[in-house]
Amino acid sequence: MKKLYLLFVTALIAAMLLPACAPSGGAPDCTKEEVFCVGLVTDVGKIDDKSFNQSAWEGVKKAEEELGAYVQYIETTDSKDYDKNIATFADAGYDVIVTVGFGLGEATIAAADKYPDIYFIGVDQFQETERPNLAGLIFPEDQAGFLVGALAAMMTKTGKIGAVLGTDVVPPVWRFGEGYRAGAQYINPDIEVFVVYHNDVGFDKTFTDPEWGSQTAISMIDKGADVIFGAGGKTGNGAIIAAAEKGVYAIGVDTDQYYTVPEAAPRLLSSAMKMITPGVFELIKMAKEGNFPGGNYLGKAGYAPYHDLENEVPDDVKAKMEEIYQALLDGSLETGVPPAKPAE
Amino acid sequence: MDWRRFLFILLIIAILFGVVVLIGKAQVSPLVIIMSMLATTLMVATPLTLGALSGVFCENAAVINIGIEGMMLAAAFFGWLAAIYMNSIFHYPTMPSLIVGVIVAVLVGGLLGLLLAVLSVTFKVDQIIGGTVINILAVGITGYLNRQLFFEKGSIFHGNVPHAPGVLPTLHIPVPEALSAVCNLLPSPQGCLEFANALGKVFDQRPIAIIAIVLVFVSHYVLFYTRWGLRTRAVGEHPRAADTVGISVEKVRYANVIIGGLLAGLAGAYFTIESVPSFEPLMTNGRGFISLAAMIFGNWTPIGAWTAALIFGAAQAMQINLQFFRELIPPQWAFLQISYIVGLAPYILTMIILTGIVGKTIPPAADGQPYEK
Repeated sequence: MKKLYLLFVTALIAAMLLPACAPSGGAPDCTKEEVFCVGLVTDVGKIDDKSFNQSAWEGVKKAEEELGAYVQYIETTDSKDYDKNIATFADAGYDVIVTVGFGLGEATIAAADKYPDIYFIGVDQFQETERPNLAGLIFPEDQAGFLVGALAAMMTKTGKIGAVLGTDVVPPVWRFGEGYRAGAQYINPDIEVFVVYHNDVGFDKTFTDPEWGSQTAISMIDKGADVIFGAGGKTGNGAIIAAAEKGVYAIGVDTDQYYTVPEAAPRLLSSAMKMITPGVFELIKMAKEGNFPGGNYLGKAGYAPYHDLENEVPDDVKAKMEEIYQALLDGSLETGVPPAKPAE
Repeated sequence: MDWRRFLFILLIIAILFGVVVLIGKAQVSPLVIIMSMLATTLMVATPLTLGALSGVFCENAAVINIGIEGMMLAAAFFGWLAAIYMNSIFHYPTMPSLIVGVIVAVLVGGLLGLLLAVLSVTFKVDQIIGGTVINILAVGITGYLNRQLFFEKGSIFHGNVPHAPGVLPTLHIPVPEALSAVCNLLPSPQGCLEFANALGKVFDQRPIAIIAIVLVFVSHYVLFYTRWGLRTRAVGEHPRAADTVGISVEKVRYANVIIGGLLAGLAGAYFTIESVPSFEPLMTNGRGFISLAAMIFGNWTPIGAWTAALIFGAAQAMQINLQFFRELIPPQWAFLQISYIVGLAPYILTMIILTGIVGKTIPPAADGQPYEK
């Protein structure tokens, strides 16, 4: 009996070790100079989440195809494992490690200090201080908001549009909201834009309150709004689901939410996107070429395809959207939104 | 329900609506604002109304139920889970899955009601402790299962939260249409038609919201006009007298606490099956406790509790609407621009109301006391 117990404990310990040795078997020796290895650590979630993790992984896959990199990923199942998962790649001699999401920010900074010879790419991680081997891939959310705001202003029939957002204490959320307002007013200075932030609750709740998002969206629709932009995790998802339910246009955020929120898909006009895939790829390329930019690296904003509503969007609107997109890209058009909310 | 309290409630709701109308009328017509706020109020008040009714049944039979919050949370989770299972594992169509979800939610509430009854009636555990047990149990079990079922490796959904079959459809009660038909008989139907049109939003409600309002009146009838209600109140006021005339105190209490659980379960279904198709840990967010406050302010009567629930709904509607019109708020009222101050309104109102500002509330005489033969 005692032996059985011992066996059981041994097996248990062995099982605990298992996730730590994910990248193994048939792998090239990454410690060698000529082998270029890229590892990706997800935030809690899966590599095929059709959102942040997947977009970043697609950027890494592109590096595999175009730069001949050896690529591997680790899915984080518990936020306590961030350090461990990063260290798994670092100790195996990987050249570039991509960490996905705001949540891994601190773990990535710590790892960058510990392994000065490895390049780190932190997706959506704003860098307060510059480290030569760590690039925070951040995005011009105001431009993404501007694009969908302009689209909303062109598609509304009532002249009233709405945005339901998480807290404006988080600068990217505020930039989405104000970019949306600026974009709408760029098309039509007299448009009525309802912008509501979920500021009345704590930080733990502001992005996970779909019920409030839904109620707020319905209240906007009741006042005549016929396009709803939802930006703020599940709170925003609640808003676009309610909009689709009520039969008005919905606009998603971050990635193409046509795939992440199927409940809203039939009425999803577009999504204000952060172009994660090209951003990650460019940074990996720069790391390989030896001109890696430390500090913050500004990625690009975009808007998602119209999908089911392709036929409802007139051609001149599509042309105008492309025009605004190009103008924002080459800098001839500015959103006029400051990087952070001015102090009151 | 004494008239003073009714008047007070109407006054508060009128003030809450009035503030928004005064600020927003520059942008949106007052009629539209009032109707839209009314629609939001009814929607937000739904779980509070059902929660308060749950309290009314339990406490009129002298069992304090502070476990409403936990009952709602557990029901919200399991109802949602059942709907997902039906839809994505057994591939049933949307509507049957949702209905099964509602039924499971109600039953889970009832089951927790049974647990409370066992604890407080049979084992005569302190009722506050019994309710607390349910609250803690619900938080733990839903948080744990939510993680294990959806986010762990090897779980049946492979770490991805599957998509819920959606939410219950909106039902339209054709009152506005009937009204516009009447309007067209008038010599100048313009204003009347506009009113009927705006009214449409109020009558676009989802099923549980409608059921909740119906249940308020059903409960009122049951409690005050049936033998069942008389027995319930007798057990709550003077169990020994009830026992003497041959009413089984235990049975009546069991039945009422289970009914209370079923109602709290329906309130839970509102969160994940009617409002949004997703579950978040702790998503009931104290609404069970606000329900209790509504019940107390409503003096342990169904209609009173409902009107009190409407106050909280109106406060929430004000909070959402004031943010729309933030730019229009005059500078001397600048404090209304700060959303957490406005967000506090429902809770501050709760405290003011509970201080007994309008008349004393009188609980059932034996409320909270176990009955010893």
